[in-house]
Formats: sequence, C-alpha cells, structure tokens
Amino acid sequence: MTGTVASTTARMPRVGRLLAAQVSYQSRLLASGRAITIGVGFPVILLIASQAPHTRTSAIDIASYACFGLTLTAWNTYGVRLVAARESGVLKRWRATPLPHWCYFLGRILATVVVAVGAGAATVAAGVLLYGTHLTVSGVAAALAAFILGALAWAATATALTAAVPTVEAASPTFLLTYFPVIIVSGILGDTSEPHWLSTIANYLPARPLSHAVGSALGHTAGNALLSPRDLIVLAAWAVAGLAVAIATFRWEPHRPTQQRSSRREVSNDLPHSKAAAVPPSSRG
Amino acid sequence: MSAIVVEGLTKRFGDFPAVNDVSFEVPDGQLVAVLGPNGAGKTTTLEMLEGFLAPTSGTVRVLGTDPHRGDRRWRSRIGLVLQSTSLDAALTVRDTLTVFAGLYPAPRSIGEVLELVDLVDDAETAVGALSGGQRRRVDVAIGIIGRPEVLFLDEPTTGLDPEARRRAWTAVENLTTTGTTVVLTTHYIDEADHLANRLILLAAGRVVADTTPEGLRSRGGPATVRCRLDDEAALADLPASLAGHIDGDSHALVVRAEDITSPLRDLLGWADRHHLDLAGLEVGPPSLEDAYLAAIAEPLTSTGALP
Repeated sequence: MTGTVASTTARMPRVGRLLAAQVSYQSRLLASGRAITIGVGFPVILLIASQAPHTRTSAIDIASYACFGLTLTAWNTYGVRLVAARESGVLKRWRATPLPHWCYFLGRILATVVVAVGAGAATVAAGVLLYGTHLTVSGVAAALAAFILGALAWAATATALTAAVPTVEAASPTFLLTYFPVIIVSGILGDTSEPHWLSTIANYLPARPLSHAVGSALGHTAGNALLSPRDLIVLAAWAVAGLAVAIATFRWEPHRPTQQRSSRREVSNDLPHSKAAAVPPSSRG
Repeated sequence: MSAIVVEGLTKRFGDFPAVNDVSFEVPDGQLVAVLGPNGAGKTTTLEMLEGFLAPTSGTVRVLGTDPHRGDRRWRSRIGLVLQSTSLDAALTVRDTLTVFAGLYPAPRSIGEVLELVDLVDDAETAVGALSGGQRRRVDVAIGIIGRPEVLFLDEPTTGLDPEARRRAWTAVENLTTTGTTVVLTTHYIDEADHLANRLILLAAGRVVADTTPEGLRSRGGPATVRCRLDDEAALADLPASLAGHIDGDSHALVVRAEDITSPLRDLLGWADRHHLDLAGLEVGPPSLEDAYLAAIAEPLTSTGALP
C-alpha cells in the first residue's frame, strides 16, 4: 500500500515543535483586526476620554486600561471564539488529527496569552507616548510578568467556562455578563463605592489583583516591592483552578440538543438529493 | 488483510439502537460506500470507526487497532472528512494545508495535494473567501494530506453543485489509485454508483445489503420501458397490454416486466401504425435508486414506519 511504510516507520513530529506551531497558528487567528480594535483601540480610547487635558496620567491609570484590554482579549474574544470553533466543528476537526489533545488545548491558551499580553503592552505603550508617563525597566519587566500570569488566569478560566456555554448565540452574553460586573466592582474602569464585603470579594477575583500588580510594577518607586505576593498568588490560583476545571470539563464536540428518540421511525416526505428515495429525518445519519 | 473489521457493532442512545449488530470487513484498498436514509446509523457507525464514539457492544478494528484507543501513530494513518466543513477562515489554503501537514510523519507535499483536489489556482486564497465546493475540497485536502491508509468521507459532496461534485469525485478517484482504503457515506445514489466498488446499505441501524452496485441493481426487480406519449388521438388506440401503464397526468408510459420483449413489440408496432417518433424511449435495467428503495423499504416497514 502506497504510503504505508512511510506512515508507520517515519518519525512522528516532536511535540515541542507541534506546540510552537500551534501557538503561532492560533496567534495568527486570534490577532485579527477586530481583536486588536477591542483589545487595544477600545482601552486607549477610554484612557484618552477619561483624562482631563494637560494632566499627567499616572501609571495606575495606564495599568487599569491595559488590564482592561488584556482581559477583554483573554476572556471575551478568546472565550467566544473557542465556543464558535467548537460549535462549527473546528475542534472536532483538530481532535481527529495526530496532534496531542493537550497540545491543541495548551497551544490555544498560550496563543491567547501572547495576544492578550500584546494588547496590554500596546495600551501601556500608547499611554507612555500620549502622556509621557515615566517607567523603569524593572517596572516594565515586573508588569510583563503580571500580564502573563493574569492573561493565563483569565484564559484558563474562560476555557473552563466554555463547557457551560451551549451555543454560539449564548457565548457573547455569557462572557460579557460574567465580565463587566467583575471589571466594574474591581475598579478597573474607575473607582466605585461598593460595600466592604463586595470589595473584599473583588480582592479575590482575578481583575483587581492583576490591575494592582501591574499598577504597582509600572508605578514602582524605590523602597517598595515591585509586585505583591498576594496578587500573584490570587492570579496563580485562578490559573490553576481554571486549568483544572477546563481539563475536567472541556468539550470538543458541538453541542447536540437533547432529544427524545423512540424506536419508532418517522417517515419523511422529502426526497433525497438525487432522484428519489424517501428518507426518514433524523439528526444522525 | 482487512483494513477495517466490524463485528456485532451496537450503539444505543438511551433505549434507541442507532446501530444494531452491524458486522462487515473492508479489505485494503477498497472503496466502500455506506448508504442509507437519514437516521439509518451511517454517521454513528462512522464515528465509532473514527474513534469519536465508543460502541455499546461489539468490536471495531481499524488498521488492527480499537479506534477509541488509537494513539498518535494510529491517528496519523487515518484521514477524515467530516460531515460539515470545519475550517478556520482567516488563513490561505496553502497556509492551512501547511499547518496540518506539520502534524504528520510523512505528509504529502502541498503541491501534490493541491493537484489532487484541483485547488492549485486557489492556493493563495483565504479559506473564508472560497465557495462552498472549494471549501469542501480543502476539507478533502486536509483529510488526505497525511497520506492516510484509511480515509473516511462523511457525505463529502452534500450541498455541492454538479460540477463541484464531479471535481470532488475526481479527487477521490485519484486517491484510490494510491491504494488508500476509503469509506464513503453519502445520500447520492449516483455518487455511490460512480465511485464505489462495494455498497453497504444501512436501514434502522442494521445492514440490509452488502453488495456491489451491479448486485444491488440486479435486486431491483424487472427491467423497465419508459416513454412519454403525447398524441391524444393515438393514445386512444394504444394496445390493451400498454394502456394500463399510462400515467394520466404526465402521459408517461412506464412498463416494468421480467420480459420486456412483448410490451416493446406492442409499443413499436403502435408507433409505426401512427407514424410516431419515440425519441424519448428508454429501455433498461432497474435503476440503482429503485433497487436501493426496495432494499431499505423492508426494514422501515417492519419497524412500523411505512404504511
């Protein structure tokens, strides 16, 4: 049989190479014009709109809007697209290939981290260019680390949530309704006067620790810690918990509506695609 | 050696037996078409062969392996074209094929695959900008790029126009020359007739026929004489042996008989007397479609579906 010898004896591609290729491929898909508009354009517009003329914008403000862009990408854009890919059969298509399942899964999350961190970094760069905010090298490096951990936490949790989203139509409302309340109570879009108990909860959601970590890194001054261990622990906990739930619940197959099947067959009046042959309808061929 | 061995395969969804005690073997290099009405169990059977579904009972071996436990190496020897197109639209055809080729140990070259599926001129086009037929051929290209020993095609031409279907057929025919074992599910009787050298008919989850296209056709009953007769005056003089076979609305004469010599002689004599041109006369064996309908009718009736 042609090809048999080659396919049974040739060496399988190394998983490291497969993972790198998958991250590159998924990054290209995710970094579309619309994703850049949402992840960079939207936060920068809000940053400009929120600042009074001729004021010096603080690193904390820039950090907040950068985190807004990052989380929009890692949560909303990524989550909705993952559901869309599952429902259109793209995930099933990949599952049918020799790519290890974990490799696709991890590749997609890492690609999201890359694009989301890029969105956050672009917003920081825009803030520095527009308002001349001073940053230190060590502060930028620490902010980058917080970006990566935060993007991982949000993307992992979004992956876990996709299992609970049955259709593409339900994806956008679900991700937006779970996103904006968290962002607002966490003070990402401006200070709020929520009750103490709500503020305490926000300290353990992934938005405020991320914003706080990036803000303290970008606004770092001598004598203060670059990053708060508590912020990093909260973000790491969300990343680990999100991944654990995602691995346990992830679905590759499109959602199939629950249906009552009986052994009694229905008869259709429709004709087959060619000339004749009456066929009973069913969701399964 | 058999590329596929299926024994007593059963899959139940609750109480519903989607596939019920199905057994067959497919030798290396054979192109088998699995036919049946919607709900016959075709896709469920295929999904068990592909490893997506575990059987309720029975055994499946594809290239000697239980598909549900197939590893990377086994996956690299299998090609799939799923029922619906499932492609990321943003990349070009060439980029898409390059990504998938990188998953296999000995993939076909991109150029070879583009030739096989007749997409050379569209290689630099974004998948999202392709027509439905072209996208379907990209699906086929992805299915074959890993040089599969067994290729599963689940209704690969559904929704395509006649020209696109012919092009897809050519792509599949090109594959059979490389020794690939192909399992094709389709609703198109003419597609199965054109491509397959073996037909497995499923109805109500069971195999109701496992034969060749010629074998199925021979089970379709008597030969047929068909002709459209429009001359009202001449129709009044139609021999009694033919008059009972006229459709009142369409004026079509359809005679099915084990021996068509007598009705054909009567028809030609009648036409000669009235100086009629029988340009539309068709004489032939029963159609594969008639045979298919006859084959699937019995299990549907026995389960109470048909009146």
